[in-house]
Amino acid sequence: MRALIIDDSRAMRSILRKIVTQLGFETDEAGDGQEALDKMRAGLVPDLCLVDWNMPVMDGYTFITSVRDNPEWRDVTLMMVTTESEQRQIVRALAAGAHEYVIKPFTPEAIVQKLELLGLKAKFVTPDGAIA
Amino acid sequence: MNLLAFSDASSFETETPDIDDVRGVTEDVWASLLGEEEILLPRAVPPGTPFDKDDVWSSAVTISGAWQGAVTLEVDADAARQLTSQMLGIPNPEDAEESDVADAVGELVNMIGGNVKGMMPGPSTLSLPAVAAGRAAFSNDMHEACRLDVSWRGAPVRVCVHVPVASDD
Repeated sequence: MRALIIDDSRAMRSILRKIVTQLGFETDEAGDGQEALDKMRAGLVPDLCLVDWNMPVMDGYTFITSVRDNPEWRDVTLMMVTTESEQRQIVRALAAGAHEYVIKPFTPEAIVQKLELLGLKAKFVTPDGAIA
Repeated sequence: MNLLAFSDASSFETETPDIDDVRGVTEDVWASLLGEEEILLPRAVPPGTPFDKDDVWSSAVTISGAWQGAVTLEVDADAARQLTSQMLGIPNPEDAEESDVADAVGELVNMIGGNVKGMMPGPSTLSLPAVAAGRAAFSNDMHEACRLDVSWRGAPVRVCVHVPVASDD
C-alpha cells in the first residue's frame, strides 16, 4: 500500500511518515496540493492521501475536489490531517470527498484508528491499538 | 523582525482565550510533535517582562474573520534547534539548517494557533505561519491579551495571543 503525505511542513511530513511506515505503507510526499496533483498526473496512484488543509499554492480542500473530479482516482482514500477544526469546514471537506478527518494535534493511535475504520488495516498494530 | 498588523482594527469582538486553554493546547501540541515525555514546566515571569533571551526564533499566525488576533511563539535558539532535530529526526541538533528550524517552529505555531482559532467565535481563517530568527514585533494597533511562559529542557518558551486594540469610534 502507498500513502501520499501532503503537508507544507517537512516536520509534519516526517512525523506522519514515521506513523504510516510503521503500518507498512510505502510513502511519497508533497509540499502542497499542486505538487501532489502533479505527482498523481505523472502516474503516482496512492491508496491513501493524508492531506493538510492550510498550504501555499494549493490548499487541501482544493486538492480533494480536484481528486474527486477525476474518475480515475475514485479509489484513492482521502484523509484530512489539519488544525482546521470549525464544524462547517469539516462538513465541507467531507462533502467534497474526504473520507476521514483528523485534527492536529493527534496521537499515532488516532491515525491508526481512523485507518482501520477506513478498512486500511495496519500491519503492525497490537490488539489494544498501539503501534508495535 | 516580523511586523504583524490588521488592515481593519475597528469592528470585531475582543473576546480572548483563557490562559488555561492556551496552556492545554500548547502542552498537547508539544506532546504530539515531540513526545509524551517532553514536559513543559511553568515559569513565573512578571507581566511586561521581555522574553529573556537574545538569541531566539519566533513564529506567528494571524486569525481573521469573526474573531481576529495573532498567536506568536518565541523559543530560545538552542531549544529551537533541539526541537527541530527531534521533529525532523536529525540526530545532531547542530546539524539542523535554518530552513529546518523555520519549518519546525512554524508548524508549532500553526498547530497552537489553529487550536486557538477553534476556541474562538467563527468563522475565521488561519494564515500560513510567518517565521523569523529574532523577535516578532507588532504594530501599535495590537496588544498582548494572553501570555504563557513555560520552559522546555530548561530553556524559555513563550506563547502569546494578541488582539487588536479596541477602537474608540
